[in-house]
Amino acid sequence: MDKITALQTHNLTHTVTSKTGNLTILKGIDIEIKEGESVAIVGASGSGKSTLLGLLAGLDRNTAGEITLYNHSLTSLSEEKRALLRGQYVGFIFQSFHLLPSLEAVENVMLPAELKGDKQARQKAEYLLEQVGLSHRLTHYPRQLSGGEQQRVAIARAFASEPKILFADEPTGNLDEENGKTIIQLLFDLNRSQGTTLIMVTHDNTLASMCDRQLIMSAGQLKEGNL
Amino acid sequence: MSFALRFILREIRSSEVITLIIALIISVGTVTSISLFVDRLQLSFEQESANLLAADRVVRSDQPIRESWKSHATEQGLEQAERTSFATMIFANDKLQLSQISAVSASYPLKGQFLVDDALFAQGHPSTIAPASGEIWLSSRLASLLAVKIGQMVEVGDAKLRVSKYLVLDPGSSTSAFAVSPRAVMNVTDLAATHVIIPGSRVRYSLLLAGDRDALQQYETWIEPQLKEGQRWQTPKQKGQSIGQTINKAESFLLLAGTLAVVLSGVAMALASARFVKRHLMQVAVLKTLGATPRILAKLFLLQLFILFVVGALGGLISGWFIQEGISSLLLSLMTTTLPEPSIGKLWLGVATGFISLIAFCLPLMIRLIQISPLSVLQPSARVEKNALVIYVVGFVGLYGLMCLYTQGFMLPSIMTLAIAGVGLVVSILGWGMFKLGRWATSGATSGWQIGLASLYRRLTPNLFQLLVFTLIIMLGLILVGIKTSLVSDWQAQLPEDAPNHYLFNVQADQVAGINDISQRLNLSSSSWFPMVRGRITKVNEDLVETLYPEGTPEPELFEREMNLTWADHVGEGNQVVAGDFHDQGISLEQKTAAEAGIKMGDKLTLSIGGLHYTLPVTSIRTVDWGSMRPNFYVIVPKQTLANYPANFVSSFFIKPDQAQAFYQNMSRYPTVSILNVGDLLKQIQTIIAQLSQAIQLVLLCILAAGALVLIASIGSTLEERREEGALLRVLGAKASLVRQALIVEFGFLGLFSGVIAALGAEASLYGVQTFVFKSAVSWHPLLWVLGPLIGVILITSIGVFASRTVLKVPPMHLLRDF
Repeated sequence: MDKITALQTHNLTHTVTSKTGNLTILKGIDIEIKEGESVAIVGASGSGKSTLLGLLAGLDRNTAGEITLYNHSLTSLSEEKRALLRGQYVGFIFQSFHLLPSLEAVENVMLPAELKGDKQARQKAEYLLEQVGLSHRLTHYPRQLSGGEQQRVAIARAFASEPKILFADEPTGNLDEENGKTIIQLLFDLNRSQGTTLIMVTHDNTLASMCDRQLIMSAGQLKEGNL
Repeated sequence: MSFALRFILREIRSSEVITLIIALIISVGTVTSISLFVDRLQLSFEQESANLLAADRVVRSDQPIRESWKSHATEQGLEQAERTSFATMIFANDKLQLSQISAVSASYPLKGQFLVDDALFAQGHPSTIAPASGEIWLSSRLASLLAVKIGQMVEVGDAKLRVSKYLVLDPGSSTSAFAVSPRAVMNVTDLAATHVIIPGSRVRYSLLLAGDRDALQQYETWIEPQLKEGQRWQTPKQKGQSIGQTINKAESFLLLAGTLAVVLSGVAMALASARFVKRHLMQVAVLKTLGATPRILAKLFLLQLFILFVVGALGGLISGWFIQEGISSLLLSLMTTTLPEPSIGKLWLGVATGFISLIAFCLPLMIRLIQISPLSVLQPSARVEKNALVIYVVGFVGLYGLMCLYTQGFMLPSIMTLAIAGVGLVVSILGWGMFKLGRWATSGATSGWQIGLASLYRRLTPNLFQLLVFTLIIMLGLILVGIKTSLVSDWQAQLPEDAPNHYLFNVQADQVAGINDISQRLNLSSSSWFPMVRGRITKVNEDLVETLYPEGTPEPELFEREMNLTWADHVGEGNQVVAGDFHDQGISLEQKTAAEAGIKMGDKLTLSIGGLHYTLPVTSIRTVDWGSMRPNFYVIVPKQTLANYPANFVSSFFIKPDQAQAFYQNMSRYPTVSILNVGDLLKQIQTIIAQLSQAIQLVLLCILAAGALVLIASIGSTLEERREEGALLRVLGAKASLVRQALIVEFGFLGLFSGVIAALGAEASLYGVQTFVFKSAVSWHPLLWVLGPLIGVILITSIGVFASRTVLKVPPMHLLRDF
């Protein structure tokens, strides 16, 4: 049986206006990502990887073309509706973790579920933190955690909303090799057990090669690659 | 909304939120304390005026009071009393005397109290009970004229009444010193028996009312349309309109001064909000990636603002209440009565201030926060567009609106805005020059002096802003010090210890010697005797004064009414001829009065005195020291013109409290002489000056607190940068003492510059006040040039070093890890 299409783009183009004139960052990108796939987007700095990731996740509106997330066209939606879709389908892991400094670890993980009005938010958060090996750090603030621990909290937070697609932006970029390996292992384990689609931007070819597909971004264009 | 609440509770501990709350407390507290304090002054004044009126409201009529008016007052639950005033002859011991009689009901007075005594010319004891039926109270003067004592009978028309007290003060009567007829008070139930009131008699009937404001208001609405000619509705405000207007003006000015505290608190709020927004931009973007919709975020931040408003406004109201209570209790020693409790209704102005400040200074920034693109989490450059102009415009409109609300007009706020803009421009130019000079004078970064002075120039915009804020605050303070020391105390210093406190009027020429005897015996100090006649100016250079001013244009005071004139052959004490010569053939005019009436030297004035007309040229213009408390006159006629005119004499005396009784008793030999005690009036003026200067000091304190908060908030916004610099310097081998020295130099010079510019500004302002407002001699104020820089350096250095203390305390390693 064919897998469901999680994300699809058609002629995705993105142009930004700057003082020096218009700059087209993405030039007619067509991709289709099936549910449960893991996809790595690689490319040189400034090639447009992060812009593509942001548009695919509905963080910004593309200037031309079409993006469809689980049959919802993101292009025509307002920020209000895109936020609702993000809450429903999408999870994020960032290079610099982006935990809320004024909230404890468990409260950070509770956030996505709470935004959905989930009454079981705390139990779920505690369970997820246990899954990432941080059950002893529930009430610690981000500043009291190491970088690796912070990224584990971020992974737990990403899975807290039970997302269908997980977007990761250089998830090991701020970590040493040891911690990086642990995080990647955790990420792929959880991804498999939850059946999540993973779309990851990375510079790390080893990490990219662990994904089902590798897409290479170059000069605003995307092509399938083999690392 | 547990998430939102938790979010807020976590945030409440952050320094920006604390700054926001303190700023709100300061602006709400300042405005609340001013409006409550002024309200108490106003209420106290109304009460005193009510005492003068003997009621809260009075319906006055030349016809007997209608029964329906009384019954309606009863229905409204108002207390009532009646007074019937008329002039009639009183007989006793074969003597008769025209007297002003008040026949009052038993409940009279509703407000205030009588002063009565059993001894002639004594100071009196309070009494709230009116004379009983069959009794009459006579003023000491009247009793002396009739030669009756307590217990003896007098006749008023057909009624015989027993004198039971000597009347010192009737609270409802006019206290005019020129009231010719002596007074008496009797019970209204005896009035019919006198048969003195017949159709055509000039009688004033009064229905006195007291009760709560709403009932009085309703009664006023009911009765006003029914009042005909000869009938009036009197309120305490009408009775003392000029004082009421003065208090209203004082309120406007105090609130305008208070606006500076509100402006500064607003700036502190805006700085704190900007820092809050900066710190939360990424957090909001993250929340957006997690599915928080703009609507959820708007709710979250509006709820935060609301909680801030509630906490800040409550804190402000409470502190405002305590501040005005404190000021009022400080004044207790100066006042004869305690101030009435302020009205709760006056709290709205403080609440409105807090609300508008929050909307004007925080909301636009919060909206900017909500508008951040979630893409910022991936690309920090994808921030919202900075639309700073909108933020400034909203802030300005909010503040201007508040100022208009305080002053109930546009004029003063516009002038104040322009004045601040002008001072801002001057301070910016001077400050820029000073900072540049400091930077030029030192180069390199090896000493605290070099680093500190370089910092002033490097953070030019925030430092110029600080300079403006503190220059304004210190300048205001110095101006107050200047005004207080050079003007108020000058005025008090001008008044010698033995400044006259009693005036004697209606003294006949043959009584002068006898009164001088009393004065010598009691060792009183007195001024000369001045003959006095009533007269008016009828023509200026052959033109009738009526023709000089077309209908509708106000006449100068000089032509408006009959006035007191004197004649002399030399210029009296406290008078100084500024034009012409004091001449035995011409009139001498007071300078301001002459200018107001447009009369020049050489103009010929025709005076009408007792039916005779005299035409004389103006040969001199005088300035008069009105503060001397001696008798002074606008117009002085040559002695020879009126030398033989039968005149009354006037003089002023200084009478110590322990001499008063003896003086009054001695004066009982001259019952026709009117005595006006102005000592109480002087005391009242001093109390009002004390009240207002206390209020101004309070406002200055609030402004200072707000200024300190601005400095702290402003340092807060550069704190990360300062910590980074401090850490770098220390990593590079600098000692903590070098970093401290740099901070002290930076803030010390900021304070020094503020103090110097403030002293300059204060000196210029005082020059303006002395020259144009008080028209007094210009003097320099060396004290300001010491105080200004000293206060500036101490104040700003201590606040600045305190606010940036973490730069010194955090170890360099920890700092480096943070960045």
